[in-house]
Amino acid sequence: MRFLHTADWQIGMKAAHAGQAAAQVREERLASARRVVEAAREASAEFIVVAGDTFEDNGVERVLIQRVADILASFGGPVYIIPGNHDPFVPGSVWEHPAWKAAANVHVLVSEEPVEVPGGLLFPCPLREVHADRDPTAWVRVAGQTGIKIGLAHGSVEGIVLEEPDYPIPRDAAERAGLDYVALGHWHSTGTYPDGDGAVRLAYSGTHEQTKFGERDSGNALVVDISGPGAPPDVRPVRVGRLNWLIEEAELREAGDLVRLRSQVEAIPEPAATLVEVRLRGVLSADDEPELRHLEDILAARFLLGRLDASALVPSPADDVWLASLPAGVIRLAAERLRDMAQSAGPKAIPAPEVISRALLELYALSKEAAR
Amino acid sequence: MILRSIQVEGWRCFANPMKVGPFAEGLNILHAPNAQGKSTLFEALRRGFTDGHRVSGGGVEALRPWGRALPPTVVIEFAHGGIDYRLTKRFLDPLAKLERLEGTRYVALATGDEADEQVRSILACAPPGKGLAKVQHWGLAQILWAPQGELALEGLSSDAAAGVRASLGAQISSPDTDRLEERIEQAYLEIFTPGGKPRAGQNAAAPVVRLQAELATATQRLQGARSRQQEFEKATRRVENLCAMQKQAANDAEELRKVLEATRSQAQQYGDLVAQKELQEQRLRTAKAVFEGVERRLKAIKDARRDLAAVREEMAGRRRDLPLIVSEVEQREREAAAAEQVIEDLRKVRPRITKLENEAYAARELTSARQTAASLDERLKAVSELNAGLSALKRERAAVMAPDSDSMQAIRQAIKERDDARVRLDASLMTVEIVPAKALSVEVVAGERAGTTTIEPGRPFEVKGSPEVVLDIPSVGRLRARGPAGSGAGARRQRDAATEKLNRLTAPFGTTEANALEALQERARDLDQLIKEQRARLETWLTSEDEETLAGKRTAAQGLIERVLEEYPDWRAELPDPAALHAAAEETKQQFINQIEPAEAKWKSAQAALVDVGKKKAATEASLGDIEKRVIVLDGKLSELASDGKTDEQREAELTDAAIAARAAEGLAVETGGKLATFGDDPRQTVATLERQLAETQKAATDALRQAVHEEGQLQHISAQGPYSALVMAEEEVARLEDGLQRESLKAEAIKVLREVVQTVRNEVVEAVAAPVAKAASRMLQRVAGTSLGEVRVGETFEPVQVAPELAGGPVAIGQLSGGEKEQIHLVTRLALADVLAKDERHLVVFDDILTFTDAGRLARVLKLLEEAAQRLQVLVLTCHPERYRGLSSALFIDLLQCEEATAAA
Repeated sequence: MRFLHTADWQIGMKAAHAGQAAAQVREERLASARRVVEAAREASAEFIVVAGDTFEDNGVERVLIQRVADILASFGGPVYIIPGNHDPFVPGSVWEHPAWKAAANVHVLVSEEPVEVPGGLLFPCPLREVHADRDPTAWVRVAGQTGIKIGLAHGSVEGIVLEEPDYPIPRDAAERAGLDYVALGHWHSTGTYPDGDGAVRLAYSGTHEQTKFGERDSGNALVVDISGPGAPPDVRPVRVGRLNWLIEEAELREAGDLVRLRSQVEAIPEPAATLVEVRLRGVLSADDEPELRHLEDILAARFLLGRLDASALVPSPADDVWLASLPAGVIRLAAERLRDMAQSAGPKAIPAPEVISRALLELYALSKEAAR
Repeated sequence: MILRSIQVEGWRCFANPMKVGPFAEGLNILHAPNAQGKSTLFEALRRGFTDGHRVSGGGVEALRPWGRALPPTVVIEFAHGGIDYRLTKRFLDPLAKLERLEGTRYVALATGDEADEQVRSILACAPPGKGLAKVQHWGLAQILWAPQGELALEGLSSDAAAGVRASLGAQISSPDTDRLEERIEQAYLEIFTPGGKPRAGQNAAAPVVRLQAELATATQRLQGARSRQQEFEKATRRVENLCAMQKQAANDAEELRKVLEATRSQAQQYGDLVAQKELQEQRLRTAKAVFEGVERRLKAIKDARRDLAAVREEMAGRRRDLPLIVSEVEQREREAAAAEQVIEDLRKVRPRITKLENEAYAARELTSARQTAASLDERLKAVSELNAGLSALKRERAAVMAPDSDSMQAIRQAIKERDDARVRLDASLMTVEIVPAKALSVEVVAGERAGTTTIEPGRPFEVKGSPEVVLDIPSVGRLRARGPAGSGAGARRQRDAATEKLNRLTAPFGTTEANALEALQERARDLDQLIKEQRARLETWLTSEDEETLAGKRTAAQGLIERVLEEYPDWRAELPDPAALHAAAEETKQQFINQIEPAEAKWKSAQAALVDVGKKKAATEASLGDIEKRVIVLDGKLSELASDGKTDEQREAELTDAAIAARAAEGLAVETGGKLATFGDDPRQTVATLERQLAETQKAATDALRQAVHEEGQLQHISAQGPYSALVMAEEEVARLEDGLQRESLKAEAIKVLREVVQTVRNEVVEAVAAPVAKAASRMLQRVAGTSLGEVRVGETFEPVQVAPELAGGPVAIGQLSGGEKEQIHLVTRLALADVLAKDERHLVVFDDILTFTDAGRLARVLKLLEEAAQRLQVLVLTCHPERYRGLSSALFIDLLQCEEATAAA
């Protein structure tokens, strides 16, 4: 038996954190879904299992349901889906959409009863509410059943720290239930749980496309081979995600640091599929100000999302060069005053150090503008 | 800039050419009387330097001489930067020409607008807009030139202030600084209003404001999207709940149906038993009714027989008692008649008692009338004597004519007035006293007592008179003595008037002497007192009655005496004893009472016994009638009860049969009741309850299903809108706007902070720059006014704003000082500023008619300052009081009128 295990597509998810790239981030999740189907085909998977949270919410726009159903239908072979805690099987849920009936190869499993799949039996554990403390696999009884038996569930494997620790699933759920493999959804990172013999019978495929900054080991699907009942599954991750979510943190200490950072940023591959957030701290020299603008421009122009956080930067106390470039008298004295204020201001000072630094940069920019 | 000369033509009062100059480089006093054109010359100087030659309008038209169409023209010769220039400017026939002196002749340097501009640059003047230049366009002349009445320095324009600052060496302003400050201000005003509020408005709103507005709208949309999402989730739960409810209701209905079937079977059995029990109970009730009917009849027959026997016995008793009661009535009637006869016999004594009582009363009347008559006789006699005495006193009082108190007081006043008038007359009269050596005949021609009088030798003779005393003394001549006219005549009139008044008041009393009048008044008072006392005695005897009433009473008493004696003539001979007669009458009366009272008691007792026995007789007769009627009734009732035709034995047997039947029926009913008790509650009622429950449950299931279908429709409608996706879009929009707002707010705050810091630094620098000016002005002020006013403090544009007297405890605004102090402070501030400007080059300072409020002492000290200032500045004072400046030995005095004559001659 060979099948592809995927989960947590979270189609229609919020992407406010992606700023103006939010729509593209959402669209990319559909593109990744197509790559999942393509990967299944390439792996000659006999069927696909989707372990919940296909959609971010039951209230997503209906056209998304149709698009997802079309993508899954394009696989040709059987596809088995269970509702997860984000898209539970409730009245008005996405699963009532007629698209599922139209896609003959796509089976939305809403009952806790075994289903015959190519090469064995599938024990679905669909969810009917957003939060619950019950083990969704608890109902599974394989006594008297022959062939390869796999489970399809959505929940939190005990011991994993998750933001939404609903539906606890024991680490030995597969052994307890007598299943050869349990395909899990809910955790966005790919994760496998070998049993005492080293066989992986419990695994999270993780989300097929990374959802935010700081999320690790996501953007995969799992191709699972099981040679026969009781045989250890062969679990192989396949990369299907495309977006890179990068955080570049740098501390500026001297005049050339910013130039070096800019070079690093420019070297990031596939900027059009990359969301990058550059966080700066340390001191800013006057000569770096154009470089800072340049970096800002590069981030805005080249990347799917480029963000620059320079709020922790303060003007360099030792840098008198740009002060000297300002007209003598009131303006230069004011600049010196601002620099001193920025250096001495505490985090709760009024005006905030960030405002003072920005005032200094504005003065610098205006002086350049006035000079032209 | 140094002024060499100035020439005007066609300018207000100077229709013809008029030249003043050359001026000294030091102190110049240009003087002339009022309205001779000093201020006009000053105006021409200012307009020449500050106004464009092409200026037009009412302001410049007013410069023409009255009624003349001459173009106002001014020619100014001046030196600047070591070079001599000549400026020619003509208005309304525009001409501007700036020439430079080369050798001995002027060479054209600039003309037209260029000439205007070059001249303005000398004083750092800003070009005016439309119309004539105003103070703010004067540049440094704002400081250096003070027109008449405008010595006060109200704050310099930016050009002038910049000039001062530049001269002070402060790098506050420079083109770069100005541009940058301007750009900062511009950046600030793009975001904020001048008042510091974020700029609003449809087309010019600050990005922050625009983003806030967009964010508010987006937030509203987000709330709407959240609402729709919540609505979707609620609808989902509602449908879930309704489905669960419908399912539960259907299950409940099925259960109820089963229970209802079983209960209906029980209800059938229960109903049969209930019907059976009701039949048994009916039989029991019937048997009981028969038993009770027979039992009642038997008891009623027994009671009727007993009652009839008792009534018949009572009737026999009544019939026995009645004759005895009739006999007793007759006896009581006889006793009452005898008692009444005794009373009648006793009442025959009553007329004799009345006669005795009348006789005793008459005797009392007679005695009383006799006593009254005697008393009245005594009072009448006393009254008659007193009336005679009173009449004599009244006659005597009538003969005495005396003034009363008021009249006496008026008389005294008149006497006083007369005496006072006499004294005043005596005091006012001229008195001539002659003591002849030999007998002399003197004729008083004018005096108080006219006529001829012979005077004996050695005896003084006085003649009084007013206003003169004229005496003719034969062989001696006429002697005339005069005094003040008029005083004697007035006194005399007063005396005569007072005398006449006194005579009028005393005329009724026959004397004008006060003592006699007072004696008369005393006698009258004594008589009045005697009359009063006599009247009091008379009132005592009369006791509020008059004499006639007393006489009437006396007559009435006599009449009563006569009437009694007529009735009892024996009493004429011997008066009766009223007490004895009264005692005899009373004794007779008491005897009668002692006899009649027992007789009347006995009669009343007999009468009461008669009434009692009468009542007893009537009651006995009535009772007998009633008893006879009851016998008849009881006989009828007994006949009716026995009408069933049965014997008492037959009735007793019937009673026993009925009791046996009732006991049998009761046993069956109890047995059936036991069976019913095994059911507990009535199953028929349970059936009804269950049927209602079933109907309700079926209805609930139907309603839930219908509601679920309806809600599902709603849910489909909501879900079709993709509420979550809408929420996502709205949240992302809000996040984007919040991000933008944060960035713009940071920028706005930064610009605000930048502007504030620049302004703060600038103020600090300006304060530092202004300090030397304030210091110099303070030093000069102290020289003029002493140390009482303290230091002068100047504002940002160098205008004096305060002084700091030590005694005041704090700064004092210039406006609170006296007029003289104010003009001195403004003058020294101008001089201090002029000193600053004169650091590189001597400048012209003009004061037009200043120091009008300054006293002579301070003026002298001010002049000293002017003399000192003239060492560094060219000072031109325009005044109509040249004498005030004569002490200035170094000054050049220029008489404007002489200049005019000289110009005309030239």
